[in-house]
Amino acid sequence: MNEEEARADIAAIRTALEQGRSYAAARSPDMIVWGVAVALGYLGTYAFVRGVSPVSPGVIWAAAIGLPWLYSLRGAIRRLAGAVDPGQRPLTASAMRMLWFGCGIFLTTLGVAADWTGEAQRGWFDAVVAGVLGIGFFASATLLKLAWLRWVAVCWWLGELALFSLRGHSAALPLGAALMLVLLAGPGLALRRRAPQPA
Amino acid sequence: MSDFDHAAIDEMLSSRVRLAIVAFLAGAGEAEFAVVRDATRTTDGNAGAHLRKLEEAGYLTVTKRFVARKPQTLLRLTDRGREALLSHVAHLERLLPQGGAER
Repeated sequence: MNEEEARADIAAIRTALEQGRSYAAARSPDMIVWGVAVALGYLGTYAFVRGVSPVSPGVIWAAAIGLPWLYSLRGAIRRLAGAVDPGQRPLTASAMRMLWFGCGIFLTTLGVAADWTGEAQRGWFDAVVAGVLGIGFFASATLLKLAWLRWVAVCWWLGELALFSLRGHSAALPLGAALMLVLLAGPGLALRRRAPQPA
Repeated sequence: MSDFDHAAIDEMLSSRVRLAIVAFLAGAGEAEFAVVRDATRTTDGNAGAHLRKLEEAGYLTVTKRFVARKPQTLLRLTDRGREALLSHVAHLERLLPQGGAER
């Protein structure tokens, strides 16, 4: 083996490693779970506002946010219950988890604060959610080396403008649900089905 | 470069396909058979033969299970396989001039 062959082997190893990391980071079903749950939250609230459902938005959102959190924290909960630690995660998978974990913590704490102080009634919070999800997808596009995720981010930011312009209007609720299904659960499904690029 | 020892190269990783499989699993942690096969651009038979050799060498574990009534073969790199990859990369880097691997 000469220098050039060694260089080619190292380059091939790096490529395969990156593909593996990207695959591991992208296959988590959390985006689908969150997208569907929050969309149901929006639709449940819309049904309440329209007088179709007697279930109050407080109960709906407690379930629509609480249950996905339980799902996303399932690994930590299992470890607390004595399950074996799966060991070190690939770097890209860890970075993705921390990015979305941070987004989730920020949105949940801000949402609780906005609800607590009555600020949520003014309708700006949905636009903040869309903006933060745009940031999450923009960063994910770089981590996963998937350019199309940047367009998902752009769509979220356009959605942010639409939601802000509809703040306080009940039409923002079905729009929020549609955005969650198309721009969060949809990309989550696409990422799970994505085959790794050939080496 | 002069201290490079050909005998120290891991025979198991001298195959490009096996090297790609091990490197992919080092990044992924674990993956289904079809994913590894597609990532390494091999056929079912070729991938299966290389995976058997890697399993026999203790570089990876193969778990068969049923998901939604469909058989699924899950591959996972062992600590031994990870160490072999790191050792192989270290040997390859010895072939390069100082800092050459960064290029």
